[in-house]
Amino acid sequence: MTGLSAWAADFANTFYKCFIREDRYKLLISGIGVTIRVSLIAVTLGILIGLVVALCNLSNKKPLKVIGGIYTDVIRGTPSVTQLMIIYFVIFATVNIPKWIIAGIAFGINSGAYVSEIIRAGILSVDKGQTEAGRSLGLNGYQTMIHIVIPQAVKNIFPALCNEFIVLIKETAIVGYVGLMDIQKAGDFIKSATFVAFMPLIGTAVIYYVLIKLLTLFFKKIEERLRKSEIR
Amino acid sequence: MIKVKNLKKHFGDLEVLRGIDEHISQGEVVVVIGPSGSGKSTFLRCLNLLETVTEGEVYVDDELINDPKVDVNKIRQKMGMVFQQFNLFPHLTIMENITLAPVLLKKMTKEEAVKRGQELLARVNLAEKADAYPAQLSGGQKQRVAIARALAMDPEIMLFDEPTSALDPEMVGEVLDVMKDLAKAGMTMVIVTHEMGFAREVATRVLFMDQGVVMESGTPEEIFGNPQNERTRDFLSKVL
Repeated sequence: MTGLSAWAADFANTFYKCFIREDRYKLLISGIGVTIRVSLIAVTLGILIGLVVALCNLSNKKPLKVIGGIYTDVIRGTPSVTQLMIIYFVIFATVNIPKWIIAGIAFGINSGAYVSEIIRAGILSVDKGQTEAGRSLGLNGYQTMIHIVIPQAVKNIFPALCNEFIVLIKETAIVGYVGLMDIQKAGDFIKSATFVAFMPLIGTAVIYYVLIKLLTLFFKKIEERLRKSEIR
Repeated sequence: MIKVKNLKKHFGDLEVLRGIDEHISQGEVVVVIGPSGSGKSTFLRCLNLLETVTEGEVYVDDELINDPKVDVNKIRQKMGMVFQQFNLFPHLTIMENITLAPVLLKKMTKEEAVKRGQELLARVNLAEKADAYPAQLSGGQKQRVAIARALAMDPEIMLFDEPTSALDPEMVGEVLDVMKDLAKAGMTMVIVTHEMGFAREVATRVLFMDQGVVMESGTPEEIFGNPQNERTRDFLSKVL
């Protein structure tokens, strides 16, 4: 009994030291803000780039295919930390915009390569008869893509896209490399300041876990709505 | 209405159509029969350019449609196409399937298209299915919706590519009935089918195709009653 209460007192003590004293929880909260902002830009940009690159890769115009191919190849062939640092320290070195926007752009460019392959697979998964039916009604290629093929492709690839976004959000934990204080960096900072490793790192893990859990539940809801046309 | 001159279609080294000359006038119901691999479907698909024509000329309303300068989408709006596999859009309701093209191509406002859609659904006896999704329909119902969808663009010509081949036998009749009504209403139709009874009853002219050419052409009485060509006789003896 004394052992347990001693442990509990010690836990409360460490908890206080790591999260309450000197308002350290505020670091984590602003870190959540950074992670969310970077992720939002990255996901949005990733979808846009992914869609454009997928259409390039599927196009029968040679230059577009080559450009799309090189992009996917280079991005997938280099580590995202390296890409982030190149974009931050080289490409945007002299530009004065907030760090989190630059980081968001870097992750968006990275994610676009993976999203493009997912979208390409999704478009190819839609039966050729769908395109023919659209074209036979007099729709042009673009209208057929937007109104008939892509909505069906999105439904097919939705689980894979969610997966990519979850990976992407966790990937942003490397933004500390360019001096951004996200969740991971905040946890790390608390660890250095308090000389306690367990509490801040577990806290960091719990925050990421909860964020992603909420997102997963949200994705589930959307997927149910997407599947409503399949009810027999 | 449709004039085809020396139409040829090659897939690589494979010659699928080896020179077809045909003239289809307004109000005709032309039924194309023949063994599989004879080029019937390819012929039909060349008429609305779902296949690119290798050689020869296809005229619709005296306009050369396999000219690269022509607006393919405008031409296709004159022709409705019904597919063997229905190809309804599974993510849209029945009504949205029907109204998508007329609204998008600015033929009608949304309200007009829905009103027209209701008329068309009533015509194919599916008025109560407007808000259902394709997955909730039987094969025969899907094909009737596909016909209504094609009609929504007010086409001058309807092309049918084996419309009953993917259906369970008990659903074939309901689709053929809709097609008979269309024929009676004076629609120009080109139909590829294996339904010989239907061909005999509805066709104004029957084309027998084999090996990429039209072997014999004539009224249903001529083709089914007194076929002249050896291959026509051989084919009919197997299917009738």
